[in-house]
Amino acid sequence: MPIEAGDLAALTVMAFTAMVPITLTAIGEIVGEKAGVVNIGLEGIMLLAAWTAVAAYFLSGGSHIAGYTAGLAIGLLLGLLHGVIVVYLKGDQIVSGVGLNLFAAGATVVGTLALWGNYANSPPVDVPQFIEIAGQRVSPLVPLTILMGVAVWLFLNKTVAGLRLRSVGDDPRSAEAMGVNVYRVQIAAAAFAGAMAGLSGAYLSIDYIGSFTKMITAGRGFIALANVAFSGWNPLLALLGGFIFGFFEALAGFAKLQLEATAESYLLQSIPYVATLIAVALVSRKGRMPRWLGRPYVKE
Amino acid sequence: MATTPLVSMRGISKVYPDGVKALENVDFDLYPGEVHSLLGENGAGKTTLMRILYGEIRPSSGKIIVEDREVKWSGPWDAIRAGIAMVYQHFRLVETLTVEENLLIYLSSLGLNRAEARSRVEEAMERLGLEVPLVARVGDLPMGVRQRVEILKAISGGAKVLILDEPTSNLTPLEVEALFSVVERLKSLGVSVVYITHKLWEVTRISDRITVLRRGRVVATLKNDGVSEEELARLMVGELAEQGGRGARRKPGKAALTVRNLRVLVDGVERLKGVSLTVREGEILGVAGVAGNGQEELVAAILGLLKPVEGEVLLWGKPVRSPRDFYKLGGGIIPGDRSQILAAEMSVGENAAFIFYTGSRKIALTPGEVEALYREIKDRFHLVAPGPDAPVGRLSGGNQQKVVVGSEVLRGPKLLVAVNPTQGLDIATTRFVRGLLSDLASQGVAVLLVSADLDEVLELSDRVVVMSGGRITGELARGDATPEKVGVLMGA
Repeated sequence: MPIEAGDLAALTVMAFTAMVPITLTAIGEIVGEKAGVVNIGLEGIMLLAAWTAVAAYFLSGGSHIAGYTAGLAIGLLLGLLHGVIVVYLKGDQIVSGVGLNLFAAGATVVGTLALWGNYANSPPVDVPQFIEIAGQRVSPLVPLTILMGVAVWLFLNKTVAGLRLRSVGDDPRSAEAMGVNVYRVQIAAAAFAGAMAGLSGAYLSIDYIGSFTKMITAGRGFIALANVAFSGWNPLLALLGGFIFGFFEALAGFAKLQLEATAESYLLQSIPYVATLIAVALVSRKGRMPRWLGRPYVKE
Repeated sequence: MATTPLVSMRGISKVYPDGVKALENVDFDLYPGEVHSLLGENGAGKTTLMRILYGEIRPSSGKIIVEDREVKWSGPWDAIRAGIAMVYQHFRLVETLTVEENLLIYLSSLGLNRAEARSRVEEAMERLGLEVPLVARVGDLPMGVRQRVEILKAISGGAKVLILDEPTSNLTPLEVEALFSVVERLKSLGVSVVYITHKLWEVTRISDRITVLRRGRVVATLKNDGVSEEELARLMVGELAEQGGRGARRKPGKAALTVRNLRVLVDGVERLKGVSLTVREGEILGVAGVAGNGQEELVAAILGLLKPVEGEVLLWGKPVRSPRDFYKLGGGIIPGDRSQILAAEMSVGENAAFIFYTGSRKIALTPGEVEALYREIKDRFHLVAPGPDAPVGRLSGGNQQKVVVGSEVLRGPKLLVAVNPTQGLDIATTRFVRGLLSDLASQGVAVLLVSADLDEVLELSDRVVVMSGGRITGELARGDATPEKVGVLMGA
């Protein structure tokens, strides 16, 4: 099976479009985790946002803006909910996240049945046209994701607000004593993480795939979490990590088109996941993990 | 001294919801540019009084007047904005960030931007004559430097009143001297310093005035003008505090605990770099040193909780590889942190039984046996508790410690490892526990005393070894061990 130069260009562009949900979600989660809040419910948030975006698209008579806004909003609300549960109610961060995932898995199926009369998928959505490179459609979210990575890096490392946020994830007690409103920062960070996951979910359904299908996220929320660890909580490296994962996803899809076989094609679909495992196992950056990550902060 | 106080606290009382009276009708004045010591035992209310001034605790009654205006704080930040800052015993700095970043967080909370913060810090460093490495990570700095960062933080934030809470508890003797000169400098700049401590010599050395608190009441406020330490001790305790007597010792017997060239890694960092020591039957070996210089790892390795990469731990010649070995060979432990061994919500009797029956082969336990154990601890160790069924967390710190010490001592270990055995205890209990360790040694028990309290180590030990940076930097015999000599070894 010869690969031509044109194929390689197409593959690269596909990698960029495939990296968006994994990367954007990871970038949001880096902000959350830098403030000490871990959300393993990102997968669930993406799933609910993907469904909501398609629903809003149809209800608004075919507006992508409405779809994206709805996805972002539901993500923000769920991030906020997670934040309230773990920050104010001192709920276990893992349990709250698992709850989100389980709820999303069930709710989206029920929602699909209610709106579209079947358990599996929505009718197709007209995907938005933006620009085309190497014969591949490129969504506006591709440049947005890259910009977001740079912006979040600048925020965390170059602004006073970012410094204050980082202090919360490392040592909330000292941060509080130095005048940082720990709870408010954590809630805001959790909401931002949710919003980015929501945007990613909306992208998946109304942009990348073009409809809502059952379990459309296919573990991307978890890969995003892996990407956070891979990046060592650095949004710029998360862009790189996202591109690598995106590349393997594109490669799997590409190879599937080339091969006619069916059994092998399932095996190929596992490439991005196996690559994730290997990458995370190889790059372990234990030292950079926010010190107070995942632990509730109780004021004296 | 100016005629009007900068801060005046009048008739301050604090009663907690459970009826505990922490403070009763306390008056406290602070004049500009004075060093005012607050002296008292643990639980006398010194820190509570200052946390009220700092806005962390609301008083039940009384008023606070700052610069002739009555104030009501809703939190520490009201106090900080009014120029009152507090440096805690445990510093409130983010260790993963640099000094500069920490200062920026604090000053940005006061509404300063980056450039303003930098010039404020530079100005404060100059005024104080303090050099701190701004780009260093706080976690990499020694405690004395961190404390200077805290002081710098407060002063660059415009503090006119600085409250230092037990400021010397984590410092080496050299760092203590450095702190004293910073306090002098603060005074000359017109900053008022409240110095909270229970150490008498520090008080006579550094203060202009002294307020002594006992059980939540002011017993005296005096000028530091020929006041003797004995007089202060009497005021603080209410009776003359005598040094705990040491029972007559036998000649030390066989080697009970032998630690040979112990090297321990924790997370890849070498925490013990070849430690050797021997404790013989009938003697107390004291381990002195600033907390965090390998003492914790040494104790864990002796208990068999940490596996050394090199060297060995022997009890009467037999190797210790697990806590099971340690107990089986006759070891006993009084851990440095009571909360590590006591289950706060379980009863006094249950907790005592846990400790007493450690390493025992007993399968079932009757309530009668628990009750008998409780009675014995109560009688022999003067435990004050409502009964064997009361949750241990309800007892005072001193009585909790008696449960730990009593149960462990009754078990009859032949080697006792005691880590900070009197930390946080009142004077009476402290004296009791120290007397007990001394008695045990007289009866032939080998005692390894690991304590950050230098006075305690010097008072009790037959021999003293000093730990610094994961090594033993020296050994001194009883007569030879002076605070100065130990101090030099602590910084070695």
